[in-house]
Order: sequence, then structure tokens, then C-alpha cells
Amino acid sequence: MAVFMPAGLQQTILTQMEATFPNEGGGFLIGEQREADVYVYEVIAVDNVFPTEEQYHRYAMTPQNWSEMEDRADALGFSLIGYYHSHPNSPAIPSEFDRVHALPNFTYLITSVIDGRAAEQRVWFLKADRSAFDEATLHIEPSG
Amino acid sequence: MASIKIPTPLRVYTGNLAEVQVSGATVGEALDALVAAHPDLKTHLFVDGKLRNFVNIFLGDEDVRFLQGIDTPISPDAKLRIIPSIAGGDDAPLVDRQRIRFANGLTIALLVLAFVLNAPLLVLLVAVAQFLGGINSPFAPYDWAYRALIQRGLLSTYLVSDDPQPHRFASLVGAGVNALGWLLLTLGSGLGWLAVWIVIVLANLNFWLRFCMGCWLYYRLGQLGVRGFNAR
Repeated sequence: MAVFMPAGLQQTILTQMEATFPNEGGGFLIGEQREADVYVYEVIAVDNVFPTEEQYHRYAMTPQNWSEMEDRADALGFSLIGYYHSHPNSPAIPSEFDRVHALPNFTYLITSVIDGRAAEQRVWFLKADRSAFDEATLHIEPSG
Repeated sequence: MASIKIPTPLRVYTGNLAEVQVSGATVGEALDALVAAHPDLKTHLFVDGKLRNFVNIFLGDEDVRFLQGIDTPISPDAKLRIIPSIAGGDDAPLVDRQRIRFANGLTIALLVLAFVLNAPLLVLLVAVAQFLGGINSPFAPYDWAYRALIQRGLLSTYLVSDDPQPHRFASLVGAGVNALGWLLLTLGSGLGWLAVWIVIVLANLNFWLRFCMGCWLYYRLGQLGVRGFNAR
């Protein structure tokens, strides 16, 4: 499985994640799945609704954020294919908290931000039996 | 029939249907009908027969948790929607407040004793203990003593979600000030006791009021952009 994303969109995410440091930030990935691969066409930043004092290690959106984005993607003929968030001063590896909140067939893009600079970006999918995440390859395509 | 809107990631289990028609008089019955028709959905919606915490069921614009839960009655043309809670983050580091309190209490007692007995060597020993605690050494004497009391049931841990790094830094600052005090005392300067008393006062602030001066300094340095002082 692989995830394809234009360099411009990756930059948008990195800039947002560095700006929200030392707190976590995130948003939705809109695109489509073609066979085993996922193509990201749009990224939409969404405010972190966790209490401020918890935002250094927690990120959450509201159900209304979800419905709005899903309806928008459906109307465009695309899909809400995943979400991204940051791990400040921590590796881009899903946590147990990430796992219990995750769904399969959904792209989890995690950005590690160390000392305010985006250090690493990795992409994950939850196994169908919910037991763990599998890592997928992230392909960044030059924006044209 | 009522309809249930399926979240995108779960549509793979409904044959790519975004909406499924079901019959049922309550939210629970509608969900049962959904799972009966598409059994692969079950593990992602329910755990031990109960709705998963991060799965929200909306009836129109209302979360059914704020109505009558799965017992909420629905009309035959009700529009239900399954919305996953999107949340994530790094697992919370934990700090044992009791351990910090214990270390501060012991520091206060030992330093006051050192002053009363005029024993600069004891100040140095406290500095070494604080240093070993600050670098999270397995040989930290305060931790040994603390664990011994925990094992005997004389103290119990009090874990809170917090970044341990500023607390370790605070311990190192205490070690540094005490070491300076010891050095001054060894060189014959009574000013060494001033350094010791600064540590005693700050340890008391932490012990009684939970104000951690070293942590405050850590966060200030982080705000000033000093590398290595980034609070999680």
C-alpha cells in the first residue's frame, strides 16, 4: 500500500504542524483510493478541540468537523481518506491512544516535530483486526 | 425505512454503500439490523456488545448519547449517521507527584540537619542524590528509599499526566546550587549556607504548594527558544 501526495500539500501540513508546536495540530486528507493506493488531493486543517493544557500530547476534532468534511468530499466525488496530526518532540509512530481511536481503511499521517521543526512524516493504516498499525510508503510527488 | 450514513472508512464493509436502509424502532435495533446485514462492521462499532467509545451515533444533529443512547426511539424515516471520533496523540508521559514530594521532603530534612550539625559533607551528599535523580539514574538513592516505602505500603504513588523533563531539570538545578553551597563552605565562606537555604525554601514551595521553581525556569528557557528546553 502506498500514499501519494503532492509536495505542495506536504509543505502545507509541515508548516501547520510547526506553527502549532509545541501543541499538536491536525486536519483531514481528502482524495481517493485507487486499488491499493491512496491519492491525496486536498488537506484541510482542523482546530484542535482538546483542552489547551492537554494539547501538547492530544489532538481531537468534533463530530461536526467530520460530517462537514465527509459531505464535502462525497459531493465532490472524492473521499475523506484520512487524517493527519503531529507528535511534538516524539516519533511519527502511532501511540496506543492513536490505535484505540483508529479505523481501518483510513490513512493516518503522523508528523514528528522536534524542537519546532518538522523532522519526519510517516503514514499508517490500522489492520482490519484492529490489533496494530501497518506502515505504508509515502510518495511525495513534485507539484507541477 | 430509516437510513444510516456509513463513515467513509467503513464503507468497504457495506459493499461501498454510503447509506444503508434499515428497520427498527430504536437506534439499537437499527444498528443491530445494520450489523446483521453487514457483519464485518461489528468489530469496528461494538466492543463486548457495547458501542465503542469513539463511535458516535447521530440522529439528525443530535448525538444519541445525549438522548436515550441506543434506546432512543426513532421514526420510520429517521436519518442516522455513524461518526467516528477523530482523536490522536502521543501517549501521555506520567509523573509521580508523590515521588517528587518525597524527594523534596527528604531534601528539606537532610539540609536542615546539615545546617544544624554544621555538616557541609551532608550538603554534598544531597547534591549527589539530587543529581542522580535528575539524570534518572537507576542508582538514585531517593528513588531507592521511595521504592522501599512503596513496597512496604507506607506510601502510595500518585501518577499524573505531566512531562517528567522539567522536574528532572529542577532536581539538577537543586543539585547545582547545593554543590555550590558545599564548595563555598569548604572554602570557608559562610555564604554556602545561603545557597543551602535557597534550596530549602524552594523545596518547601514544591513540597507544600507544588510550585516547582526549576520547572518554571525550564519552561521560561523553552519560551526563550533555548535548545533542549522544549516542554512536551
